[in-house]
Amino acid sequence: MSGSRAGGEDPGLQAERTLLSWQRTVASLVVVAALYLRDPGVLVVAGTHRQVDGRLLVVGLLLAAAGVLIAVLRVRWRRTRHGVLDHRTGAPPAPLAPPWLIVAVSGIVVGLGVAVLADVGLGWTGVPP
Amino acid sequence: MSTVSAQSGGDDPPEPNPDVKSRQVREPDYRFTLANERTFLAWMRTALALLAGGVAVLYLVPLDWGGPVRLLVGLCLTILALVVACWAPLRWTRVQRAMRREEPLPTSLLPLFTTVALAGVILVVLVGPLL
Repeated sequence: MSGSRAGGEDPGLQAERTLLSWQRTVASLVVVAALYLRDPGVLVVAGTHRQVDGRLLVVGLLLAAAGVLIAVLRVRWRRTRHGVLDHRTGAPPAPLAPPWLIVAVSGIVVGLGVAVLADVGLGWTGVPP
Repeated sequence: MSTVSAQSGGDDPPEPNPDVKSRQVREPDYRFTLANERTFLAWMRTALALLAGGVAVLYLVPLDWGGPVRLLVGLCLTILALVVACWAPLRWTRVQRAMRREEPLPTSLLPLFTTVALAGVILVVLVGPLL
């Protein structure tokens, strides 16, 4: 009994710190997406501006991806008894997120960067002529 | 005493062979894997901060700079963010692989590259508007 408890401990709260790190990253992602959208007033007339529609699409995709990311993390966090025990390996989950999620979050950031570059390249809006 | 020295033989440390073999591809301590993951996420946030800076310079902050300087700084920050975002997962993979094989951790040029590139951007920010 005490042995299984000792095996289920997480000295230094490593898993929880990693979860918080993920949450900070997703929060940053949402903030940068909001900056990229940049003109909330235009949302009212969305549908009339092609430029804004393009950005809305990017931000919508990004928020959906962030939602999936959080959902996957939550499910895994619960399944591993709050980051303590992964039943498949008998050890704490490491990495906390599945490796494909690590590649995916990099892809999301790259996608946003490419969208910013495309914004400049296509001269959609923003930079005063 | 004599049997011990006879068993260990030459200069190799007295390590049983099967154990050495199993150590070569063993999963590292979960704390190290999680630390590697957090480092990766810190790089992701660095990339996001650079991207936020790029968007701010390009679109949000009213600056009295000339168009080209503004465009240069914004594009440099965005491209730097892209490089960091592409590089970070490669670094994560390399570190993870090295830890599995119990090899020394690979050094990476990513911190140096980021430092030099950022210094260049700061120089342009300082000097650019004066030109």
